[in-house]
Amino acid sequence: MLYGCMQASPSMTLPARDPGHVVSAVSPAFEALFRSEYARVVGIAHRVLADQAEAEDVAQDVFVSFYRGHPADAAYGPAWLHAAAAHAALNALRGRDRRSRREAALAVPPDATAAQDDPAETVVASETREEVRAVLARLPERSAAMLALRYAGLSYAEIAAALDVRASSVGTLLRRAEDAFRRELR
Amino acid sequence: MNDTQIERALGTDEPRVNTDNALARFQARVQTEGIAPVVPIARPRVTSRWLQGLAAAAGVVIVASALTLSGVAESVLKIFEPKTVVAVPITQGDLTYLGQACTGVNLQECLGAYGTFVWTTPPQPKEVNSRSQASAQAGFTALAPTSLPSSVTGDPRYGVINRSTATFTFSADSTRQSAARVNRTAPPMPANIEGSKLFITGGPAVVQIWGAPAGATGATGAYPDVPTLVVGQAKAPTVSSDGITVDELRSYLLSQPGISPQLAAAIRAIGDPSSTLPVPVPAELAVSHPVTVQGVQGLYVGDNTGIASAVIWQKDGMMFEVIGSFNESQALSIANSMR
Repeated sequence: MLYGCMQASPSMTLPARDPGHVVSAVSPAFEALFRSEYARVVGIAHRVLADQAEAEDVAQDVFVSFYRGHPADAAYGPAWLHAAAAHAALNALRGRDRRSRREAALAVPPDATAAQDDPAETVVASETREEVRAVLARLPERSAAMLALRYAGLSYAEIAAALDVRASSVGTLLRRAEDAFRRELR
Repeated sequence: MNDTQIERALGTDEPRVNTDNALARFQARVQTEGIAPVVPIARPRVTSRWLQGLAAAAGVVIVASALTLSGVAESVLKIFEPKTVVAVPITQGDLTYLGQACTGVNLQECLGAYGTFVWTTPPQPKEVNSRSQASAQAGFTALAPTSLPSSVTGDPRYGVINRSTATFTFSADSTRQSAARVNRTAPPMPANIEGSKLFITGGPAVVQIWGAPAGATGATGAYPDVPTLVVGQAKAPTVSSDGITVDELRSYLLSQPGISPQLAAAIRAIGDPSSTLPVPVPAELAVSHPVTVQGVQGLYVGDNTGIASAVIWQKDGMMFEVIGSFNESQALSIANSMR
């Protein structure tokens, strides 16, 4: 029950009364939130999906969900967006069929950190990325989300806020997630 | 694969985004699809916090877990009056599917995935000044813990929720639409289920909350104002139907897409669904097991991270729940000290 409420807004809000009313622009508070968090939200989704266009689609959906259900100036806004980005991207990842997964993986440009002058290693890196995404899709949700957030560059404090765990537990939980990740790869 | 390779694989190139274009795309979508933002209710913040907490507790105590995200467990019950509680593990896959199938996050919107949910007498939580007042308004003696851990301090706040009733009507169209939202196809709804109704009653209930004073910001993360202890007591909820049988409902609902084999097996394993309250427990996030509390069998549910524990039991026609940031022995000690 507690868990089922996790997506609910902590503040008391109601949907707008007139669904036919179309706003001409988002509020300044929402625009500020969008501008400050969009790149980070895309970055989190991108770690999961390895496809920028798809990551940006996920980011749009995440911001729409937030816009519909939460006040723009909510203090928990960034944390909510980070968590939602990870979960939505993982959902999208699991929703890909085998063929589209392969196509998406192949469409990813070579990793800047890979040895691009070695074609064999580049192929290995591409296969590795595909394998990693498959493993992410199989991991328990929180473990996968934790890895996505961490490798997207979030601090332990930010991860704790996003996943609603104690900051002091993040290190342990992250190690468990990495262990689970390695086990899945075997 | 070593750590470096994992890091390399997960650490894809930093995407270069054009935030201006993305914001323009967002605004265009908002306008095209008529997406409206939430509107804050103009009411005192303190009252909102307290009532929101009370309403959340009411959701736990009155309709217990029978009316949570799943929309499954309660629906297998023809005439339901719990005499015991069992854990039903819900996997992340179940939650993911159901979260997507729901049009919103609240009870009404979620059950809307399967039909129409209408409160005929909605729960209206209100605050009272004392346990005796709470007892008088609820019509039963509200029990309270006589032993508390040192982490629980101060006086509790008291809330009372009236006896509430709701009607749920199954709809094949709603079920089809919710399945379509997640690109699934729902099995045909049997003619005798389409349009059939469930009548749900819950409460009255008394909720006692420690540690969530006005303006409290004790908790960390995105969810402030979490109480240190919540004690709930309610008349056991009941569910009746206008004719459909338990087995018919159970078979149909468990055939819905997105219900994991584990959840289906757990629901099927409930021997007597008419007297057993299934408590959904997220399989990856929590542990649960039967415990003896107040001389009867109850259920302990603990969060894997140690953030929260709950003890739930039923005795003499009343449901009880103790929730807080405790370990199991502390939670049981509180539960057993209820007098």
